[in-house]
Amino acid sequence: MTGKKHQPKVVIVPCSGIGKTYGTVSREAAYDITEDLRPDDTQLVALSMLVLGDESARSAIAGNPAITIDGCKLACASKMVKESGGIVAQEIAVLDVYRRHKDFKPQGIAELNEGGRQLAHALAEEIVVTIDALVSKDTGGQNG
Amino acid sequence: MSEYLETTVDKFTFKIATDRLYNAEGIWAKAEGKMVRVGLSDFVQQRSGDVAFAEVKPVGVEVAFGDEVAVIETIKVNISLGSPVTGKIVEVNPAASATPESINQDPYETGWLIVIEAADWETDQSHLLNPQAYFEKMKREAEQEVKKG
Repeated sequence: MTGKKHQPKVVIVPCSGIGKTYGTVSREAAYDITEDLRPDDTQLVALSMLVLGDESARSAIAGNPAITIDGCKLACASKMVKESGGIVAQEIAVLDVYRRHKDFKPQGIAELNEGGRQLAHALAEEIVVTIDALVSKDTGGQNG
Repeated sequence: MSEYLETTVDKFTFKIATDRLYNAEGIWAKAEGKMVRVGLSDFVQQRSGDVAFAEVKPVGVEVAFGDEVAVIETIKVNISLGSPVTGKIVEVNPAASATPESINQDPYETGWLIVIEAADWETDQSHLLNPQAYFEKMKREAEQEVKKG
């Protein structure tokens, strides 16, 4: 019996903008990825934990590529990962994705409207492409 | 190059270009001969947030003072922009729709919206604010917003 080799995970760091629609979209996309689309290949790290200097959050980004999802041009998620010594494999802004999906107008904060949920899913699908490329690179293009 | 009046309210710094006039909603109008270039003030773009889409009336449309010439959708609000001049739209900035972030990044120069051939600029400009007057109005609004939190 052989032990399962540890595969590096792609760390997903969404915006922490509480009370902002685009922040909520970024977090919904992150949950979509880490819980449903690619749970085995990803790990969610809360931006607030990085800001607080949480050791487990810092070690997660130190050893794995990160994908940051920013809700506004302040780009807190991207900046914080870089300041914490992480490597950002992809920076993605919710607004850029919305510009490509004008029909998915997000509204709501605690609970997104249908457009917001669709936008979050479209965002998640775009990020999955990068995750798959990163995982494929790490495993030498072999699955399983 | 434009010169600016500048003020900092809370953590935000706002610039008002001194080479143009403004309507009360913060739409600027810069006369260039018979043509008047139109765009958003720095205060309006900062207060409204990142621009997602800018839908501007096309070339050839005739507008009266106050008529809607563009709708800007930002991450916070939708803004209907009233024309600060009566006349015919003769040029639309392609960057407004292709790269709407230019409205946030450079509202007084590359982020302009339209050029209107003015029908009666003398009359229109009498309804607009000079830079100093708009600067004072803008400062009051910015300070009120900070107080509101």
